[in-house]
Amino acid sequence: MSDFKKMNYYEVLEVPANASFFEIRHAYKEALSVYGEDSLSTYSLFSDAERDNLLKKIEEAFQTLMDEKKRSDYNNQLVKDGEVDPGDLLRDQNKNSIPIFLARNTLDKNSFFKKVKKKIGESSIQNLSREILETELISGRDLKKLRQAIGIQLEDIFEVARISISILKAIENDEFQNLPSLIYLRNFLKSYAEILHLDPEKVADSYIINISLLQK
Amino acid sequence: MSCIYPIGGGKGGIGKSFIAANLGVLLARQGYPVVLVDLDLGGANLHTFTGMTHVKVGMEAFLNKSVKNLKDVVVPTNINNLSMISSVNCSMEIANLSAAQKNKIINALMKLPYEYVLLDLGAGTNYNTLDFFLSSYEGIITLTPEPTAVENAFKFIKSLYFRKVKQVLGQNDFKLYSQQVEMSSNALEVTSQVIDSVLEKDPEKGELLLQELKKFKFKFIINQFRKTTGTKLGEKIEKVCNKHFYSEFQFLGNVCYDERVHDSIFSKNIFVNKYSFTVSAIDLSHIVAKIQGNREVSSLHSLERYERL
Repeated sequence: MSDFKKMNYYEVLEVPANASFFEIRHAYKEALSVYGEDSLSTYSLFSDAERDNLLKKIEEAFQTLMDEKKRSDYNNQLVKDGEVDPGDLLRDQNKNSIPIFLARNTLDKNSFFKKVKKKIGESSIQNLSREILETELISGRDLKKLRQAIGIQLEDIFEVARISISILKAIENDEFQNLPSLIYLRNFLKSYAEILHLDPEKVADSYIINISLLQK
Repeated sequence: MSCIYPIGGGKGGIGKSFIAANLGVLLARQGYPVVLVDLDLGGANLHTFTGMTHVKVGMEAFLNKSVKNLKDVVVPTNINNLSMISSVNCSMEIANLSAAQKNKIINALMKLPYEYVLLDLGAGTNYNTLDFFLSSYEGIITLTPEPTAVENAFKFIKSLYFRKVKQVLGQNDFKLYSQQVEMSSNALEVTSQVIDSVLEKDPEKGELLLQELKKFKFKFIINQFRKTTGTKLGEKIEKVCNKHFYSEFQFLGNVCYDERVHDSIFSKNIFVNKYSFTVSAIDLSHIVAKIQGNREVSSLHSLERYERL
């Protein structure tokens, strides 16, 4: 049986030479679960002395690799001995942890609402909104026209109201076959109208009447 | 060429015959001619698994020379494509084969005209069992997730190594090297220390020894797997063995514990036939897929080799 004698610390823990601290800690726990005294997977495979040696080496590897200073000294030694290619030691920057809220480019809601409010203040938009609310039946095309005039993207509505893009498209294009059931549709329309500063109840009622007429 | 898969693993009662019979049925179901060979000579009961109560001819006829060719003692089972060689009628003293008889069997096994030859071995680590197991490079070791079975499985592997190292080095050299090994170490450590000392003192021979050990692609199956067993036990054992032994090890999969196995043996019905859609039966079919996957890969390699020529 070969033991750890000829292996370097990275081989002992079975991690690549550029492993992050997180990976090393994980590998260390895994190694302990395999070589530990009460592990079923190595039961009776090693004598007590052999097992002690293995565990000692694992501990050494962990203590060295988790310490930035000790690790870089050890890496230098490995490079000097020709065991590791210096290129393999470069750590992948992407592997560093990133805060979970930065992972996605989220919308800054406050500045979004401010921007919308300012835009709606303009007289041309005011006229357009009034025009829409005055009509008996409101179609998806009207809503789309207003949205585009204000300069809101469908993605922005998704970020704020969590209505999926495909449903938003179906609403704007009056595709009644792709619309969700009435109870959902009503609430979606209300949220949509609120973003556009329209009367939610009025928009929902008129839209639904319009769509049911279209359906017939 | 036929594929020989010996099925062993030190401990008794861990399901060697069960695995052999069920793998045999699953392979036969796919249309391959399969033969099961009962090599648990002192405690044959593979015929019971296949639901055969009376076996007219078997290994005994081949050994007492009343039948010349091993393929003439093959009897069909009531499952399509599946045949077997039973040793139920062997004499009481048969378990102690002579070396000549053992070699005769091994040589004859190589020539059996079947796609798959599955050898059901007995428990323990006596020379016959070890040599039957070493007759193929792709032996399957069975164990259950209990310390006793794990212990015996490791002991079985170490005994195989001991036997193989002794064969490669020859009796004299082995004695020479093992004498140099410290007397304090226990018998199991001797093999590894002998290998180390050969590598040190006679690198050429050491290299030859390693080459020989590297040819083995051992496989193992964890039988009677239960929910309470730690997950990844098989993967861990695979990793450890690949790291510390000199051969290749492959974990074929777990076979879940099922009360109905007992029931199927009682009714002399093959488990995968009686309970085709149980978790354990599906586990077994995954194992068969893995075994066949290995074959495809190796045949691809051999094709490549031809192309290079």
